[in-house]
Amino acid sequence: MHSPTVTVLIIEDEPQIRRLVRNALHADPTFLRSGLDESEQTPELRVIEAASGNEGIDLTAAEAPALIILDLGLPDMEGVAVCREIRRWSTSPLIVLSARHADTEKAALLDAGADDYVTKPFSSVEFMARVRAQMRRRAAAVRHDGSTDVITFGDIVVDQQRRRVERKGAPVHLTPTEWALLRTLVNHPRQTLTHRQLFHQVWGNAVGDAQQYLRVYVGHLRRKIEADPVRPKFIHTESGVGYRFEPPEDEVA
Amino acid sequence: MHRQALGRWALMLAILALATIGMYVVRASLDKAHVTLVYLLIVLAASAVGGRALGLTVAALAFLFFDFFFLVPYLTLTIANPLDWLVLVTFLITSVVAAQLLYRANATADEAMQRAVEVDRLAALGEETLNAADAGEALRAIADVIRHSIDADECEIYLHGIDARIARVARSASDVGGGESARHPPVPALGIAEAPSGTEPRGSLVEWIIEHGTSAVELTDGTVRVAHELPPSRRSPGRQRWEAQPETAAAIRAVTRLERGSLIQRLSDSLRGDDDRVRRGADEPAVRAVALPLQVRDHTVGVLRLASEDGLLLMPEQARLLVALAYYAALGAERARLVATAERAEAERRVESLRSALLTALSHDLRTPLTTIKGIANEILRGADAARAAVIESEADRLNALVSDLLDLSRIHAGAVRPALAVNTIDDLLGAALRGASGVLRDRPVEIDAPDGELLAGYFDFTQTLRVMVNLLDNAAKYSPRGSAIDVRIRRNDQRLTIDVMDRGPGVPVAERDRIFEPFYRPPGVPPDIRGHGLGLSIARGLAEAEGASVRFTPRAGGGSVFTLELPAATIASETDLASMG
Repeated sequence: MHSPTVTVLIIEDEPQIRRLVRNALHADPTFLRSGLDESEQTPELRVIEAASGNEGIDLTAAEAPALIILDLGLPDMEGVAVCREIRRWSTSPLIVLSARHADTEKAALLDAGADDYVTKPFSSVEFMARVRAQMRRRAAAVRHDGSTDVITFGDIVVDQQRRRVERKGAPVHLTPTEWALLRTLVNHPRQTLTHRQLFHQVWGNAVGDAQQYLRVYVGHLRRKIEADPVRPKFIHTESGVGYRFEPPEDEVA
Repeated sequence: MHRQALGRWALMLAILALATIGMYVVRASLDKAHVTLVYLLIVLAASAVGGRALGLTVAALAFLFFDFFFLVPYLTLTIANPLDWLVLVTFLITSVVAAQLLYRANATADEAMQRAVEVDRLAALGEETLNAADAGEALRAIADVIRHSIDADECEIYLHGIDARIARVARSASDVGGGESARHPPVPALGIAEAPSGTEPRGSLVEWIIEHGTSAVELTDGTVRVAHELPPSRRSPGRQRWEAQPETAAAIRAVTRLERGSLIQRLSDSLRGDDDRVRRGADEPAVRAVALPLQVRDHTVGVLRLASEDGLLLMPEQARLLVALAYYAALGAERARLVATAERAEAERRVESLRSALLTALSHDLRTPLTTIKGIANEILRGADAARAAVIESEADRLNALVSDLLDLSRIHAGAVRPALAVNTIDDLLGAALRGASGVLRDRPVEIDAPDGELLAGYFDFTQTLRVMVNLLDNAAKYSPRGSAIDVRIRRNDQRLTIDVMDRGPGVPVAERDRIFEPFYRPPGVPPDIRGHGLGLSIARGLAEAEGASVRFTPRAGGGSVFTLELPAATIASETDLASMG
């Protein structure tokens, strides 16, 4: 019987890390079922590997992997350049493995089209959580192919058609900026949006002082929809990179 | 000043005229002796008030008036009685001599006054040299005093630094703008000049002076003369500085009287080409600058250079004063050197102590977890329960944290921290910090006390400040009883935000309070189950200071510690203002 396969590409020059990632993927195959019904058969996992950036780009073009794991310390190319090149024609989820801590670099990677990053050293548990999140997000995006009209999370209801937000049944008044921010965040669940991406979504190509106040707007928004703005449940801070909307696990489609 | 002098002249001449008219009116009842005495008095008064010139002028006028009005025949300059000649000449001689004597007495008094001023100035300078908080400041003050005392355009002090570098540490100039110095480089190159037998000129004149310990003068024709070097026999160690003085004094004499070519040697081609030119007074180039070695105990510590665009002329008493002032400059330069040496020694000591602490950390703190990892990996290989690998994981985390700490520490010490300052909210910072420290805060209630409803924002680098906060929370959790609460208090005072992290631990003994922020400091008697490397607080402070924030310790009322992070506050526009931008 011919079963469908899911291809994962690992671009990494260190054989030990490649093995670690391969083993982690094989050991926890639940991510393969993302977006599938109970009745559907679990696809088979196929892992392909590349030891350099150029090889990785070639394999992405040839094999169209469903998921790409990209290491930053490649011998032949800058990780950001690989990322940008792949994003020119591939929309597959891309997770970056980075040994560097510089946040500006993380933000640059996300801006270049990466979906998420894991900082070395990482545990396989942490890594697989990121993989599952990306696969689920992709499946949801494919199914809906656009924004949902009404999004519910926790005690919040966001009605995109009528531009209304309710909390515990009572309407929440949002300024136009806060509304634009919230809509951008909830339409990219579990995805880290960099400050630049958020700014671009909310203000378009506007230039001015608004950018430096992005964090202040998020602060105001949190105070309206979060029970404890210091310990937010929905809008999480990615230190130095941006923000991420995280709906409670069981409630998201 | 000029107006005052005119006034005095007018006054004395008026008195002379009035006295003459008065005496003329009562001429019949006057004797010649009366007239001479009155005139003599006026001459003396004029000398005392207006100096030699006025005194002599009044004397001459009085002589004429006496002859004209009071000697027969009246109203002519002829004299009938030969004895009257005697009276007249005696009067003239007496008044001139008296005027002269009075002037000299005044001049002596002035000179004494001047000396008193000089002594005062020296005393003030000595005090300045010894007491100024900053050695560089003292040198600048000395340069100022010297320039004003000698009336030069420019006075510079060069210092022979501890690393053999020569730097100008003080400059006092009459011109404020830099245009002048652009035309005349502050340090003239010896250029074509050749040094005396067997020595080689290096770089600049200042270097040459420091190397040879002799004085030099620069002439307006762009050439340089340097004094003879001291013969080696006279430079024996232990000689008092004042005995070496004649050499410096000689250079100054050379400045005042250039023809004494025997004391200074001209190095330039022009001298060798046309020896006679120097002796021809009219063509002789003037001195533009004089440079003296500053010596303390036979050791040249710097150079003093005085320059005037229009030529430098030193009166003998100015030369004397310059020698004394130069000694103060030498003391100031020596002090600056000693301070620099001490500072460098201190910096080296700190680097050394950090290095040894680092080595200890590398050998102990890195090896301990590695030993554990190796041991457990070995056990698992031999068939032990694979669950033991959890220890490997936690030890690896510990290693990872230590590597991050060491990287941060070296970045801080290398001055390589580049904060990305931006407007960030305290909500964000605190939330991320609580998540970052969630491991150590697991069984700890954290109470947050913030101003109600107000969204506070500061101007800081988010990641660095997050690290500071996590370290402070981590520190509070480590050094306070398990389960006790940690309180966080946020306040805004005008332009500053303060975040207090407060615990109910044992606090810090007074003697240890300065040391807790040093790298690798660990409190004495800390239980071994508290794992740490003593880097958290030093990194917190280092990162905070790199972005213009600060971290400080204060004891907590009722026991425990308060660590305060102080950040610059950002003023944010009101919500409606912000919305209108969207």
